[in-house]
Amino acid sequence: MKLVAIVGTNADFSYNRLLLQYMQKHFQAMADIKILEIDQLPAFSIDEPLDMKVWSFKKAIQQADGVIFSTPEYDHSIPAALKSAIEWVSYKQNALYHKPAMIVGTSYGPQASARAQEHLRQILASPDCDAYTLSGNEVLIGNAAKVFVDGNVTDAKVRAELESYFNNFVDFIDTTAPKEDDSMPKQPYLDDAYIKFPTGSLSFREVQQIFATIPFEIDLIDHTDHFTWYSNKPNREHVRYPNEIGEGVDECHPPKVLPIVMKIINSFKDGSRDSVSRPLMMHGHRVLIQYYALRDVDGSYLGTIEFTGSVEHILNFYDQGAWGESDGTTGASQADATSGATDASGDAAADATSGASAHDEAASDAPAAENADTTDAPDATSGASEH
Amino acid sequence: MKFVAIVGSNANQSVNRQLLQFMQRHFDDDQLDLVEVKPFPMFNENHPVTDPEPAVQLAEQIESADGVIIACPEYNHSVPSGLKSVIEWESYRLHPFKNKPVMIVGASKFAQGSSRAQLHLRQILDSPGVFAQVFAGNEFLLGQAKDAFTVEGDLKDQGTIDFLTLCYNGFKDFVAMHQAAQEAQA
Repeated sequence: MKLVAIVGTNADFSYNRLLLQYMQKHFQAMADIKILEIDQLPAFSIDEPLDMKVWSFKKAIQQADGVIFSTPEYDHSIPAALKSAIEWVSYKQNALYHKPAMIVGTSYGPQASARAQEHLRQILASPDCDAYTLSGNEVLIGNAAKVFVDGNVTDAKVRAELESYFNNFVDFIDTTAPKEDDSMPKQPYLDDAYIKFPTGSLSFREVQQIFATIPFEIDLIDHTDHFTWYSNKPNREHVRYPNEIGEGVDECHPPKVLPIVMKIINSFKDGSRDSVSRPLMMHGHRVLIQYYALRDVDGSYLGTIEFTGSVEHILNFYDQGAWGESDGTTGASQADATSGATDASGDAAADATSGASAHDEAASDAPAAENADTTDAPDATSGASEH
Repeated sequence: MKFVAIVGSNANQSVNRQLLQFMQRHFDDDQLDLVEVKPFPMFNENHPVTDPEPAVQLAEQIESADGVIIACPEYNHSVPSGLKSVIEWESYRLHPFKNKPVMIVGASKFAQGSSRAQLHLRQILDSPGVFAQVFAGNEFLLGQAKDAFTVEGDLKDQGTIDFLTLCYNGFKDFVAMHQAAQEAQA
């Protein structure tokens, strides 16, 4: 279980920070708790663009199974710095939506931060946050200077209470958080419906599985610059989460790359470009990212699609001379040797479901496109569909 | 009378700023000095070591005023962090709100008119570190505020202006009573 714990103050010294550090250590067998500080975040403003630190802070919350807030009390409420962090996190794409949350707090005096915690509950219940806050289980640790000795909770009663409440929070996450299986949609909603194309029809199930099978992953930024869809290919290069869907392009990209992304999108919108390719290394292999302007038949802009995929297998073919020289004959024999095209040409009938219609087209299109002879064409098409 | 009027929003466009600007023009027998929260740094008990300039200046303004009017927006059912930060600066080393009459008003885009944030603000101003004398009742909640003003920035609805005037005059009576009581004690 992955949790984040937010230190609710920007002060240099805080017993609330000590409390979270203690919880991190004490509960390490139950959960991996990452502590987030708010002192480096800028003050919330609707007029300021998303800052890199805010972006990372928000992403950490979005990807966690739950959030622990440790709040001090300033003037009977939560500190402005914590309120500001919550405003950033919930503004535009709300990272706290249905996120299991636990509130804890400690103070030098006997009251802990009872009233601030009550305000925080109300804030987290607002429609802007809509977090799933664990009710009851109030962690109110007063007299912090006596309770914490060398970073440990010395009072056995306080410790037992904290353990019991944290257990409840873990159970609460198990019951409220979406099941592991739900994190990736397995099937579209209308799995028995068909989409009719001029070139044939596909069931929703087939569409879904095509996207899950092709060796490239696809992301869509729609015409309003929102991330609206990604293909559910297994082992994606870019790991995406369902709760990122609906984010603005400024929210789903780190601020430092945003200008590059916007330059591409804007050039698609104004029609000056139709595609951009970007080769790079990811996870230790060679990857090609290709952006394409998605346009309707009249040419008006529908969005930007991003194709990402490993090109290792293509480059391996290339290295082995799969396409040979410009001389068609050598090309054909080399292709046979490496891709098992002898099978492929013989298997054209076995591959018939996908091959049949494509085959004819390929046979007529390929020679012109590839500048190769006819013996080459079947190999090229079946090879492509196989990998 | 002389009032400090705090714009509780740091946004470039704010209906709460509009509301205070209207009050400033409409109640021109009195002096309303508008103060923005934007120049204030985020409150931090360690940095800077001394109070920032805007906090010192506001404290002086409040000390010399008869009262404070706060226009409070609502973010996440509570007080915006920008306004809360200002109150924290004014209740840490400085305490200008102590015994100072305060009136709360607020505006919002939808029906509530920042009702929940105003309740939180009352509780915050009541805390011992702030110790303000908050004017009770007289809840001025301006809902649908985007459509409430003319292009010149005046409130369109006469009923709304009448109620605002009633609240404002009530606040002035409250300030006068408070000052009389202070003098009697002295």
